[in-house]
Amino acid sequence: MALDRKIAYINLSTREVEIKPIPLEMRKKFIGGRGMDAYLLYNHAPEGCDPLGPENPLIVSGGLLTATCASATARTHVMAKSPLTGLLGSCNMGGFFAPELAWAGFHHLVITGKADKPVYLWIHNGDIEIRDAEYLWGKNSTDTQWAIRNELDDQEVKSMVIGQAGENLVTYACVMTGIKNAGGRTGMGCVMGSKNLKAVAVRGTMDVKIAHPKDALEHNKKFIDQITSAKVNQIQGALGTPFIWGATNCWGGVRTRNFQYNQMEYADEIEPEAIDDIATETMGPHHMTGCFGCQVHCRAQYKIQSGLYAGKYDEGPEYTSLGAFGAEPDCKSAETVLTGNHLVNQYGVDNLEIGSMIAWAMELYELGILTQKETEGIDLRFGNDEALLQMVHNICTRTGWLGNVLADGGIPAAEKIGKNSFDYLIQVKGMNNLHSDERATPGLALNIATASRGSDHLRSRPAIDLYHLPEPVLRKIYGSPVPYDGPLSSEHTEYIGKPWQVFWQENVYMAVDCLGICKYHTVFLGATLPNFEDWPEVIYYNTGLEFTPKEIWDAAERCNNLERLFNLREGLTRNDPKKGDTLNHRYFDEPCRRGAPDVIGKKIDRDKFNVMIDEFYDHHGWDKEGVPTSETLQRLGLENEPTRLL
Amino acid sequence: MEKFLTVDADKCTGCRLCEQVCSVMHEGVSNPAKSRIQVVKWEQEGVYIPVICKQCEDAPCMNVCPVRAISRDPDFGFLKVDQEVCIGCRSCVGICPFGAMGYNPTTRQVFKCDLCGGDPQCVRFCEVNAVEFVPVDRVSAQKKRRGAARQSAAERQATALG
Amino acid sequence: MAEQQKVSSSESLRSTRTFGKVRCHNPSCMGRLSPSPGSKEISCPTCGMTYRLFWVTPELPRIRGPVWDVNRKLAQDTLAKKTGAPDGDSQ
Ligand code: SF4
Ligand code: SF4
Ligand code: SF4
Repeated sequence: MALDRKIAYINLSTREVEIKPIPLEMRKKFIGGRGMDAYLLYNHAPEGCDPLGPENPLIVSGGLLTATCASATARTHVMAKSPLTGLLGSCNMGGFFAPELAWAGFHHLVITGKADKPVYLWIHNGDIEIRDAEYLWGKNSTDTQWAIRNELDDQEVKSMVIGQAGENLVTYACVMTGIKNAGGRTGMGCVMGSKNLKAVAVRGTMDVKIAHPKDALEHNKKFIDQITSAKVNQIQGALGTPFIWGATNCWGGVRTRNFQYNQMEYADEIEPEAIDDIATETMGPHHMTGCFGCQVHCRAQYKIQSGLYAGKYDEGPEYTSLGAFGAEPDCKSAETVLTGNHLVNQYGVDNLEIGSMIAWAMELYELGILTQKETEGIDLRFGNDEALLQMVHNICTRTGWLGNVLADGGIPAAEKIGKNSFDYLIQVKGMNNLHSDERATPGLALNIATASRGSDHLRSRPAIDLYHLPEPVLRKIYGSPVPYDGPLSSEHTEYIGKPWQVFWQENVYMAVDCLGICKYHTVFLGATLPNFEDWPEVIYYNTGLEFTPKEIWDAAERCNNLERLFNLREGLTRNDPKKGDTLNHRYFDEPCRRGAPDVIGKKIDRDKFNVMIDEFYDHHGWDKEGVPTSETLQRLGLENEPTRLL
Repeated sequence: MEKFLTVDADKCTGCRLCEQVCSVMHEGVSNPAKSRIQVVKWEQEGVYIPVICKQCEDAPCMNVCPVRAISRDPDFGFLKVDQEVCIGCRSCVGICPFGAMGYNPTTRQVFKCDLCGGDPQCVRFCEVNAVEFVPVDRVSAQKKRRGAARQSAAERQATALG
Repeated sequence: MAEQQKVSSSESLRSTRTFGKVRCHNPSCMGRLSPSPGSKEISCPTCGMTYRLFWVTPELPRIRGPVWDVNRKLAQDTLAKKTGAPDGDSQ
């Protein structure tokens, strides 16, 4: 059975729409989702293009399995050149958007050009229409979605939208769908804003064919059982991602006060169980919700209990909101965390980035690099909840000198603030790090230094490294589908074997992003969750395509190399502190001072770190500068890119 | 004993897995528009309510059908549509007070929940048990219990406050 | 393909799951601790780290957080030993 799936090219300047089928050979090579997006970006973005210019393609997609009868294939992927980093822009969100796009007849959209006034796309059962959005401009992310539903008179319409942050071209604005699903990283909402594109609204009642429906259904049951029986997912289903924050903070892996500490002490009021109590009180015992087709249900629903926003309904908070509005600014109030979470969802801004930016500014303020003059009277010290929330407003609306400067992103802001402010910016490739502290965990440090979209945990983090798994178990996981007999260590404070683990995780995460599956359904937080060996059946039953585990691995590696090629083309070099595979000097110079006894005193060893990078490149078949060798490109069939087949 | 599908909307996470598996089970395709169960949402407040056929005793859909395409299954008691007979007039779609009757634009016929012939897939897949398949007498017993529990909790609270 | 019934490596690892236990969060320790059902706190016999517990289900405990006073003291003593200076500026 042929997979009849389509891609649409939409030019907002000329208002032209072209629809094409996606050839099967492309599936074999790039699978779908993020991998296919990487192909499209490498082929459609002109070298050195302005991220906010009309030629930057905004690519929106669902994965190969999206909307099929496989578990948790709800993820939407968005790619473009990033206005934050000038390199690869890429983000991924849950919810119900990508499946609806599939039922509306499309798996990939390539949006270029720039509308002369605000517009939104209306995609409905194979039709694509460009509609006026002037009445939506200025609305927050949820109001926009409800207004579109009312205009189209269909409450089932799903929209991917920007809030005011995207309109105001905050370089780390999100795309949003539903209440809290955010494609947060690398400023894809800013790219939407630059195109005057307020929303992409979709509604579909068309079939997504299933190759072997009975087998797919039975297999899905088995698969779901494997996923929900994992302990991490049971905890996740009760407490959501804050559980990771709680556990990490317990031993000292949570970045606090920008980078001064690796733990927030006496954090009882905002620990996951405390947040869960509030959710239970305001929404009842069954307050967890989830994405399409997912039985993990990792998101909490809550109402803010007190303060300016008392009574407001929202969803979350996730790990990042506890970091952004808790540990980083050193605020210990649940009200602040829940309010901050609400604000970023409404404005449509990356909570991770905005939290890091404000914490950075707070440290600069305490150091005297920023003063009351620049903050225009805001007392921007750590622990000032009011100042924190005020800065969220100021950044998203670009109010005041500092709000405006911080809205441009870390590196441009450091240039404007001057002095040695850059030294305190905890970034890689121009993007701030997750609110985690990797000084005690070299494998995790290698992950953020080399992640393709800038400092990021969801590209290659070997999170199970923290579980001290016995070596035979590690070998079982990391030794397939490609044999590996090099060193592996159960010690997460060690350097040995980590480059292979990071390389393996990089491929596994690429594969799930290509399939459109959520990362909680693979080897991210749980060692017993599905990986390469488990996917061929799911793919076959649902799509009829035959892949071996090794073929999935190869495709993932191919797609990762495409992202690398894009980054190299746009200026990445190994040791560039602003665009390279590097870490802030504080990782190497300042030891951890809090947490578990074995964490105290830990910092990253420069030489060993460099050896890790060498090894990591080596596993990829990259040279010492991190450039794929011609043999590698040939092995992966990338020697002729860009080939413009799509 | 006849069994019924019962819905506890409080427990529903809104994931719509039930819609997915229902359409795959009955139509061999993934398409919630063709699912017999449908989750109605008030996303603004986080309220999700799965809507499904009640297999009414005095069923309006059966009564209104001009060609008698809808009849009761003698073994399981559910109402089913005879696709050979259905003329696609959609009278039943219009009259069902719950919106539980669907219309398939591909086949141009109506469809409704048939309890998957006795093993409802929505129940099988819903891990939070928001839809359950229980004997008739247990339904009202359960409902009574839950209602009573709520009442006694309210009373306890009132006493505590008082 | 439909016929192959071999167990994948991730599935085979399911048997290694241990319910009812938590692991000490000290990296080189990582000892398995078995709290008695429903208990609120547990101390690691090896390194002394002490944790508050939360029971996700009656069989599934998780570490809620440190008993701050105990673990903070352990941290400060270690810091003093390793750097020769107490963590004076800790708020
Ligand atoms: S685990 Fe959470 S994020 Fe992932 S699909 Fe399920 S509900 Fe969505
Ligand atoms: S499967 Fe259960 S939880 Fe999910 S939408 Fe259906 S009834 Fe609700
Ligand atoms: S389709 Fe509607 S009217 Fe007919 S039995 Fe079901 S709930 Fe009653």
